[in-house]
Amino acid sequence: MMPEERFNVRHAHKPRRDAYGFALRPQYVQTYQEYAHIYKEEEDERSDKWKNFLEHIEKSSQSCSLEKAHTEELPAEATEQKAYREELQAEPTEQKAEIVSESDEEGNDKSSLKSISEGSSERDPKKEAQLPKETGKSKVQTWSFIRSSLSSIENMMSIRVRKQKNMKDEHIVVDKDHLPSIEEVPSQDAFEDGQEEDIYLDASSGATSVSNRESDGLKASGEDEVVDGGVCNSVQADQTKEDVANGIHPEPLFPWNQELESLVHGGVPRDLRGEVWQAFVGVKARRVEKYYYDLLAEETDPGESMDNDNSCGAFRKWRKQIEKDIPRTFPGHPALDENGRNSLRRLLLAYARHNPSVGYCQAMNFFAGLLLLLMPEENAFWTLVGIMDDYFDGYYTEEMIESQVDQLVFEELVREKFPKLVNHLDYLGVQVGWIIGPWFLSIFVNMIPWESVIRVWDVLLFEGNRVMLFRTALALLELYGPAIVTTKDAGDAIVLFQSLVGSTFDSSQLVLTACMGFLAITETRLKELRDKHRPTVLEVVEERARAKKWKDSKGLSAKLYSFKHDPTITEEKSTTEEESANGDVSQSKSDSCNLDEMLKGLSLSSELDSLSDPQDQVDWLKVELCRVLEEKRSSVLRSEELETALMEIVRHDNRRELSAKVEQLEHEVAELHQALEDKTEQEAAMLKVLMLVEQEQKVTEEARISAEQEAITQKHALYVLQEKYDKAMSSLTEMEKRVKVAESMLEATLQYESGQAKALSPRSLPGSTQGNPTRKIPLLSFGLGWRDRMKRSNDSKSTNEQSDPPIPQEETTPTPQEKTSPTPQEKTGEEVQEHVEGGSDTQVFD
Amino acid sequence: MGCSSSLPDRGSGRLVGPNVENGGAADAKNLRVKLVLLGDSGVGKSCIVLRFVRGQFDPTSKVTVGASFLSQTIALQDSTTVKFEIWDTAGQERYAALAPLYYRGAAVAVIVYDITSPESFNKAQYWVKELQKHGTPDIVLALVGNKADLHEKREVSVQDGMGYAEKNGMFFIETSAKTADNINLLFEEIAKRLPRPALSSSSSIQNP
Ligand SMILES: Nc1nc2c(ncn2[C@@H]2O[C@H](COP(=O)(O)OP(=O)(O)OP(=O)(O)O)[C@@H](O)[C@H]2O)c(=O)[nH]1
Ligand SMILES: [Mg+2]
Repeated sequence: MMPEERFNVRHAHKPRRDAYGFALRPQYVQTYQEYAHIYKEEEDERSDKWKNFLEHIEKSSQSCSLEKAHTEELPAEATEQKAYREELQAEPTEQKAEIVSESDEEGNDKSSLKSISEGSSERDPKKEAQLPKETGKSKVQTWSFIRSSLSSIENMMSIRVRKQKNMKDEHIVVDKDHLPSIEEVPSQDAFEDGQEEDIYLDASSGATSVSNRESDGLKASGEDEVVDGGVCNSVQADQTKEDVANGIHPEPLFPWNQELESLVHGGVPRDLRGEVWQAFVGVKARRVEKYYYDLLAEETDPGESMDNDNSCGAFRKWRKQIEKDIPRTFPGHPALDENGRNSLRRLLLAYARHNPSVGYCQAMNFFAGLLLLLMPEENAFWTLVGIMDDYFDGYYTEEMIESQVDQLVFEELVREKFPKLVNHLDYLGVQVGWIIGPWFLSIFVNMIPWESVIRVWDVLLFEGNRVMLFRTALALLELYGPAIVTTKDAGDAIVLFQSLVGSTFDSSQLVLTACMGFLAITETRLKELRDKHRPTVLEVVEERARAKKWKDSKGLSAKLYSFKHDPTITEEKSTTEEESANGDVSQSKSDSCNLDEMLKGLSLSSELDSLSDPQDQVDWLKVELCRVLEEKRSSVLRSEELETALMEIVRHDNRRELSAKVEQLEHEVAELHQALEDKTEQEAAMLKVLMLVEQEQKVTEEARISAEQEAITQKHALYVLQEKYDKAMSSLTEMEKRVKVAESMLEATLQYESGQAKALSPRSLPGSTQGNPTRKIPLLSFGLGWRDRMKRSNDSKSTNEQSDPPIPQEETTPTPQEKTSPTPQEKTGEEVQEHVEGGSDTQVFD
Repeated sequence: MGCSSSLPDRGSGRLVGPNVENGGAADAKNLRVKLVLLGDSGVGKSCIVLRFVRGQFDPTSKVTVGASFLSQTIALQDSTTVKFEIWDTAGQERYAALAPLYYRGAAVAVIVYDITSPESFNKAQYWVKELQKHGTPDIVLALVGNKADLHEKREVSVQDGMGYAEKNGMFFIETSAKTADNINLLFEEIAKRLPRPALSSSSSIQNP
C-alpha cells in the first residue's frame, strides 16, 4: 500500500532504485538484491508482531479509564476537523489505500506523494489558507489523523512533547534578553484576529509554537481531557512528566513500553511507519490548526512576502538556497516530480518561517523529502518541526553550535571505546570528525543504505533524543574499525570507511549492535559530556563573531548612512551592499532586521486596533509616522555613535587581545622549544645509554668468543693427549712383550750356560758366577724378577760390580765368546780392556 | 650487533614522517596532497570532483551535507604521480563554521565560483581571505570560474577573475564540469605548482 512496494515490483528485474524509490549505487546493486529477500522476511515477521501488539494494547487501554478519554477525544477531534475535512475518515488506512490505487491507475511513476501534492497545488495555497473550509472538497489529504490503534502510543509520546515544551518555555523566557532580534519578525505581520497573532508570537520563537496553549491546558488538566488524554489521573501525570524529563519512560502508565521498545528495535512495519513516526514525534500534541496554512499564506501573498523580503534579507537567502537544493534532493526519485517538489518547497519555506533561528539549512531538504514519502504534507511539516525543534535543537542554526558540540563529544567517546582505531587514525592523520561529521548532520541519510537509515530513524524518533545517533555511529566504528586499522594512508582509510559504511545493508545487525552494544551511552551521559565541551565551541564561535563584526563595521556604517538619507530604499540597498561587500552577511543582515523591527513594530498595531474611525486612524497614523521617523532619525544617530564607540572598543579589544595572544603564543613557542630541547637531551642520553649497552654487549661477546675458542683448543689438546696416551700405552705393551721375549731368551741362555758349566769343570765355577751378573745387568732395568735376582747376587759378590755400566753388545755375544774363548782368564782380560775404555779401574780385579 | 644497525633507522624514520610506507624511497616521485574545495553552494564543486574522479557529469548532483571525500591519482609528464585526497565541502554559509576542520592542513585549496553569479564570486573572495588568514602557510590557492559553458549567461568576466587571482598570487582557470573543459588541466596545473619535498622541505605535502 505504500509507494515503495510498487517501486520494488517495477524494478524487480533491473533495480536501479531500492524499495523506497531511492537510487542505488551500481556497486551495491548486487548486495542489495541479496538483502531484498531478507528485508521481505523481516517485514512479514514484524507486520505480525506489530499487529498483535497493537491489538493487545488497544484492549488493555480500554480496560483502563483511558477508554473515557479516548471516546471523548473523538468528538473533540471531529469538531476541530470539521472545517478541514468534510469527509472525515474514520479509518485512515482506507483512505491511503484509495490514494495508492488511484495512482496505480495513473501510472507507475505516480505515488501517494504525487497525488497529495497534486491536489494541494491545484489550488492556490493562499486560497487554501483563507478558505480552509474548501479543502475538504478536494479528495486529497494534506492532513490526516493517524489510526486509532496507535493512539495509546501517541498519547504516551505526547506527554513527552508537552513536558519538553514547558521546559523550553521557561528557557525562552529566561533567554528572552539574549534573543531579541530575528525571533520577532513575523509578529509585525498584521493578523486580523488576536488569537492568531497570539499563536504567531509563540511560533516565531521556534519551538514554542504551541506552548502557551498547551501549558495552559496542562495547568487545567482536569478540564481538558484531550490535552491530557491517556493519563489516568493528574497526579500520576505529573509523575510521568518528571520521569520523561529524566529520560525514564513512563512505565507504570504504559506497561507495554518495554515491549514497544523491542518492537521498535526490530523495525516498524512499512505501512505503519509514517503514522508511527508521527506518534513518536508527538505530532498531535504539536499541531496547531491552520498554522501551517497561515505560514503558506504568508509565503504566497505578494504584498506580505514582499514586505518580508525587504524587512529581512535572511529569508530571501533561504528561499534562494531552497530553490538551489530542491532539484538536488533525491534527484530522480519517482515521487519527487514537479508536484512532489512543490510540496517539498512549501514544507521547507513554511518551516523557515516557523523557526527563523534555523530558517533553512542544507540537510533539511533530505529530511523533509523523506517525511513526504511517508505521510501527508502537513503531517510531514509537524514531524519535521518536532525533529528540528526538539530532537536536533540548536543543531542546524546559523552557528551550528550543538552539532559542533556533539562532534567533540563523539570524539571523546571514540577515544574511550576504540583506542586502537583512534591511534591508527591519529597516525594516519585522519580526524574522526571528518568522517562522522557528515553522518551526524545528515542523520545517516545518503551515508548508509536506506533500509538502515530508516531503521535507525525508527529508534531515534522513538527515543526522542540523539542517543541513537551516537550509538549507530559507534556501531559503525565497531563493525568497520578492524578493517580500517589495516590501511596505510589517510586517503585509503577514508575511502574504505565510506564504502564499507555505504554497504551496511544488514540493518538489523546495525541496529542491534547500536542498541545492545552501547548501553552505557545514555542521554544523561551525553548531557554531561555536552556541558563539558560546549564552552570550547562557544569560545570559537564568539571569536569568529567578533572578527566578523570588526570586518562588517565598515559596511554597517555605510548602510546606516544611506538609511539616514533615504529611508525608503534603505532595506534593499543595504542588503545588496552587504552581499557585495563580503560573503558573510548574516550577522549584519540580522542587525538591520532588528533595527527595522524596533523602529517599525513599536506598539503600532495594537493601538491601531483601538481606533475605529478611519479618519482618526489616518490622523493617528500620520502622527505616529512622524514620531517614528523622528525616532528613526535619532536612533540612527545613536547607533552611529554607538558604532564608533563599538569600533573603538573593538579596536582596543583587538589590540589587547592580540598582544595577549602574541604573548601567549610566545609563551607556547618557548614551551615548545623547551620541550624540544628536553626531548633532544633525552634522546642523546638514550643514545649514550644505548651505546654503552652496546659496547658492554660487544665486550661480553668477545669474552664469550675467546672462551669458546679456548674451550675448542682445550678440547683439541685433550684429544691429542688422549692419542699420545694411547700410543704410549700401545708402545708399553709392545715393550712388555719384547721384555718377555728377551727374558725367556735370557733364561734359556742361562740354563744353557749352567748346563755347560756343570758339564765342563767345577773350577770354572767362580768364573761363571763372576761373569753372570755382568751379562745380566742391562736386562735387569726392565724386569723385576731380574732385579731381585741381581740383588741376591750383588749381596753375595762385590759391591763394585753394581756400578758397572751394562754393555748391551755383550748380551748377544756371550755364547760364541764362551765357545771360542773357553778360558776364564782370557775372558777377564777382554773384559778389563773394555772397562778401561769405559773409564773404570781394572786394578780392582787384580 | 642488531642494535647498532637499528639506530640509524630510527633517526631517518622520524625525519620522513609517518607516511613512508607507500612512498618509500620514491617519495619525491609519489606525492600525496590534501586538497579542499570551497565556494558558494551550487557553483559546482561536487560536479567538478565527480568529473575529475569518475569522469561523469550528473546534472542532478546531490546537495553536499557537511563534506564528502574522494581521491584520485594522476601521473605527470616527468613520471611523478600525485595522489589527490579531495575534500568537497558544503557550500551553505553556515557550514563555513565547519570548514576549518577540512581546510586545516590542506596543501591545496580550490576556490570555486560560478561565472553566472557575481554573488558566488564575492563568496570566493571571502574564502580567499579566510584561507590567507587561517590556511596552511604556503598553501597553493587556485581560483576556478566554473560553468564556463554557460557563457551566454556570464556575469563575471574572465578579466575580473584573472585580475583578482593575480593580485592574490593564485592560479586561475575557468572550467566546465558539464563539458569537462579544463577539469583535468586544473588538477595538472595544481600538481605542477606543488612544492616538491626534494627541493624544499615543505611538510604540507607529506603530512596531513
Ligand atoms: N551548466 C553547468 N552546470 C553545472 C556545472 N557544474 C555544476 N552545474 C550545475 O550546478 C548544480 C550544482 O552543482 P553542485 O556540484 O552540486 O554544487 P556544489 O558546489 O557542490 O553545491 P553544494 O554541495 O551545495 O555546496 C548541479 O546540479 C549542476 O546541474 C557546469 O560546469 N556547467
Ligand atoms: Mg556539493
